[in-house]
Amino acid sequence: MLSKKLLVRFATACLFVCCFVFSGQQAFAQRDKIPTDEAIIKKGEGLFKEYICNSCHAVDKKVVGPALAGIYDRREVDWILSFVKSPGKMINDGDPQAVALFKEYNQVMPNQDLSDEQILSIMAYVLHTEENPPVEAAPIATATGAEGAAQSGGVPSEYLNVIMVTLIVVLVLLLVVLVIIINFVSRYLKDKKQLSAEDEEIVNEKFSVSAFLRSPTVIGIVTFLVVTLAAKNVIDGLYTVGVQQGYAPTQPIAFSHEIHAGTYEIDCQYCHTGVEIAKSANIPSVNICMNCHSSIKTDSPEIQKLYAAQESGKPIEWVRVHNLPDLAYFNHSQHVTVGEIECQTCHGEIQEMAVVEQFAPLTMGWCIDCHRNTDVNTQGNGYYDKLVEMHNATSKTPMKVADIGGLECAKCHY
Amino acid sequence: MLNRLKAFLPLIAIFALASCNASGDNPGTEYAPQMYHSIPYEPLTQIKEKDRGEWLSNREDGLGEFYNSNPNNAYEQNVKLPVAGTVRRTADGVLPYRLGKDDIEAASLVENPLPETPEILAEGKRLYELYCDHCHGTTGQADGLVSPVFQGVPPYTAPALRNLSEGHIFHVITYGIRRMGAHGSQISPEKRWKIVKYVKQLQQK
Repeated sequence: MLSKKLLVRFATACLFVCCFVFSGQQAFAQRDKIPTDEAIIKKGEGLFKEYICNSCHAVDKKVVGPALAGIYDRREVDWILSFVKSPGKMINDGDPQAVALFKEYNQVMPNQDLSDEQILSIMAYVLHTEENPPVEAAPIATATGAEGAAQSGGVPSEYLNVIMVTLIVVLVLLLVVLVIIINFVSRYLKDKKQLSAEDEEIVNEKFSVSAFLRSPTVIGIVTFLVVTLAAKNVIDGLYTVGVQQGYAPTQPIAFSHEIHAGTYEIDCQYCHTGVEIAKSANIPSVNICMNCHSSIKTDSPEIQKLYAAQESGKPIEWVRVHNLPDLAYFNHSQHVTVGEIECQTCHGEIQEMAVVEQFAPLTMGWCIDCHRNTDVNTQGNGYYDKLVEMHNATSKTPMKVADIGGLECAKCHY
Repeated sequence: MLNRLKAFLPLIAIFALASCNASGDNPGTEYAPQMYHSIPYEPLTQIKEKDRGEWLSNREDGLGEFYNSNPNNAYEQNVKLPVAGTVRRTADGVLPYRLGKDDIEAASLVENPLPETPEILAEGKRLYELYCDHCHGTTGQADGLVSPVFQGVPPYTAPALRNLSEGHIFHVITYGIRRMGAHGSQISPEKRWKIVKYVKQLQQK
């Protein structure tokens, strides 16, 4: 495997050298103009990072801007020198190569305050990196990493299934063996002549399924079970009327909180901007999506829906998940800013939800329960100083939300 | 025969109640729906079907009880932008930012109205970690989790960025620059100035 890789690399190197030798005069002369001095390459490497070229360019691949390898074959050195210093001006002046670049990448590189000598040293670094590409050990590393993860993840579920199946097979075999033994023993006993009447009765006893089912004990137990289960289901069912816990509607765009809040750890407030200052947490408008999706996953059909919405100005009609009845008032800022309650307390592990579902029942009992059990977050909040003082004068337990009117009807219903 | 049917009654009741549960696209049965749905316009709730709740409606316009959309707005939305030309007065007197997207040179002369106190820096850090660190990284070195996917995020300490004025940074947060999008709609001016203070601190490191 490795030797094959080396062989390919050797072949490409040979090809490279051949091209080098037999290619036109211009390309050769261009490469010739670039310094190869070790110190200059080092300096170029430093400048490449210092002037943050590396945030948009790489030597071997296209990042935001084009890959830099072979730049000395594509362009005149003088062109490169003036483009790096003021790309915007060259585009405005109508330089055909600069305009073509602008059309392809649709953005303008910022002007770089670099001297000719500095730009040449950066090119020296690019040429050096192109000719001596860094050894790629990454794929091997990730492969071992994946294996390690699989091993460290405890017993895999396949093994558990195999163990379960074997256990069941063993039990069934045991049952079969037991039945055979019973048959064998009773046949042996029947053949025997000198048995007492009592024993004979046991040996000849026949098991009747229908008689067993009709016995009052069985009927009693079954009726009891059915009635209890039915009653439990009816009561549970009645309690779920008007409760939308578990509601997980399909949204117009398959947005995943698992990716955004989970994998990329984007804070909830980045999009739900109202949560600290208003009653509603707010659903982000398209411009907030576009802060990232102007350049992330631009080809995805789901993301294309964003572009369509932006172009037409027609808002995306997200389906509301949490429909708190109009008869109850709830304010996010009160709970998040003053109470410092985590979003997950009421919304569940939202960073693991590919499709958002209503986690909490949002019933009055659920609200009241929390108000009874939660200590008021009074730390560093002068508003509560007197209240805490008065509360502590008569009580030894910490001040709960219920103690400052958290159970009053008109706090939520008005 | 009747007796046998009676035995099935609890089963029928169970099935009937099971359909009250919410799951997937089904929000479940509503109890007293007239008390659930808002009569005034609700900004984040909108029912555009004119006949929803017709069966219990006593509205004078003959529409369904739950129809809740404003036909006078575009797309029947219930939300509206503030009237053009009006100015919102803030408690701390921070005036709206009047410079346009292209006035970045004028913007770099604008001074931060906030003093550099430990409280403001701490608040700036908190806000920075809400709105900026996904790309720019907690230390401003462009090592946030989104940065490798988004690409082209510069570290704050780069010589080309290190000495930018506070007004310039504020303008960039407001309107965006090059690949970065405008964040003015998400972050209030006062919060932006706080973030600017913290960004300047990160650049000094």
